[in-house]
Amino acid sequence: MPRILVINPFPLDAAGVARRAAQSGHVALDPGTELVYRPVKFSAVSFMSPHDWLMMDLGVYEAGLTAEQEGFDAVVIDTMSDSGMAALRSVLSIPVIGPGKASMLYAQTLGARFSVLAQWKPALPRYRKVIRDYGFERQCASVRSFDVEPDFVNLTEGKEDKTFPTMLAVAMRCVEEDGADVICLGSTTMHQAADYLAERLPVPLVNPGPLSYKLAETMLALGLSHSRKAYPAPLVRKDELVQGIVGAAAASN
Amino acid sequence: MPKVLVIVPFPMDAGNLEKRRAQLKAVRLGPDIDFEFRPVAIAPANYVSQQDALLADIGILEAGLSAQADGFDAVCIDTVSDSGMSALRSVLDIPVIGPGRHAMLTALMLGEKFSIVCMWDRWRPLYTKTLAELGLEGKCASIRAADLQPNNQELLGGREDEVFPVLLDVATRCVEEDRADVIVLGSTTMHEAHEYLAQRLPVPVINPGPLSYRLADAAIRLRLSHSKTTYPTPLTPRAAAIAAMGAAVRGR
Repeated sequence: MPRILVINPFPLDAAGVARRAAQSGHVALDPGTELVYRPVKFSAVSFMSPHDWLMMDLGVYEAGLTAEQEGFDAVVIDTMSDSGMAALRSVLSIPVIGPGKASMLYAQTLGARFSVLAQWKPALPRYRKVIRDYGFERQCASVRSFDVEPDFVNLTEGKEDKTFPTMLAVAMRCVEEDGADVICLGSTTMHQAADYLAERLPVPLVNPGPLSYKLAETMLALGLSHSRKAYPAPLVRKDELVQGIVGAAAASN
Repeated sequence: MPKVLVIVPFPMDAGNLEKRRAQLKAVRLGPDIDFEFRPVAIAPANYVSQQDALLADIGILEAGLSAQADGFDAVCIDTVSDSGMSALRSVLDIPVIGPGRHAMLTALMLGEKFSIVCMWDRWRPLYTKTLAELGLEGKCASIRAADLQPNNQELLGGREDEVFPVLLDVATRCVEEDRADVIVLGSTTMHEAHEYLAQRLPVPVINPGPLSYRLADAAIRLRLSHSKTTYPTPLTPRAAAIAAMGAAVRGR
């Protein structure tokens, strides 16, 4: 009976969490798998600058810090930015799955080159940075934005008629002009468009949230977790400090 | 119920096929999924030259060609060489899982660099081929061989005391000297050593066969398959000719 903690990277209310939780409708999970969604207490408001990335790293880290003690079998981070993943891996032994790097790696099991479909233009520098950092420049055909401001709470709801065809047109440019063999949705917030796009694109579409659930199950099914050599444990854990500063930041809102 | 065809890359009797099938015990699978292990008819004696690679590609293509028509939902190829994978992907719409690339890419989900531990150095070209195709040469810390003769029928049975400690020693050197974060077993025929190694090494050890079964399961549940732009469909498939090759060998 694997229990998986899914960390939402914004301090969402119940309705916001429910929109995120609907991602599990895209995939058949194992019968015993239980997903527990938990929003962070504190995060960035926008997501477009190194300042924002750092705020989200901290918020996700705090939300997952105690996952192993609480009895969870794995952690999934509900953002393509993999925010907080590296720090969580350094203190947890259970698998911690971020859909960002994992979906780019998974895309390479399906085809030679992938494109990332990004939300708006301010999101582009970060994708380009991580693709360089991961060493995937040769495998990435392009990162293109469909130039619609993200709504981290309502996602694409109510904007389907306008947004979905725009997303499709940009994804088609990735395929036809950039030579993408696979399209990666650039955000877990785009999951509502996944079926629409998958039905219309001539190449596979990777929907990062549902993939991350399946990868968490896969790691658990094989007894695999991240390497301690790549994610060394700190000599001194500072859980109280982390909880203190995140609590203070959340109370300051 | 989803059905997966596992293509075993050598002709073999039922007893030895069972040793391949034992890989299923190393992974917890999703509900209601069935795996059928089928040996090829056309095969080289082993995988140590370009002749062997060519015959392996042909044999596996022949064995999997009708998988979709036969009602299978996915195909796994039971060799880390991923032989036949590209050709099968070009003619099938169902997922075709090659454990080599899937093991390497999964290793990179768990650490920055991986090493491949194999039985003998004659297998090295199997890995350099896939690394070159993926363009991920820089992510491979090392390929190290144990200098032991593999047996693709008996696997490691009866040789545990001789083989397991040597593999552990080689893998330890990958971690300590080459800085591997993750170890990938270089052959599905090494699966019997996985548990021994995983219990003794300080890094994750990927068992490529069982991983491929679980990833076939995942691909089915995610309704994802390979890209037809990377693996384009032939204009003129030679299905009858390929079937005739198989029949020629079987009838001999």
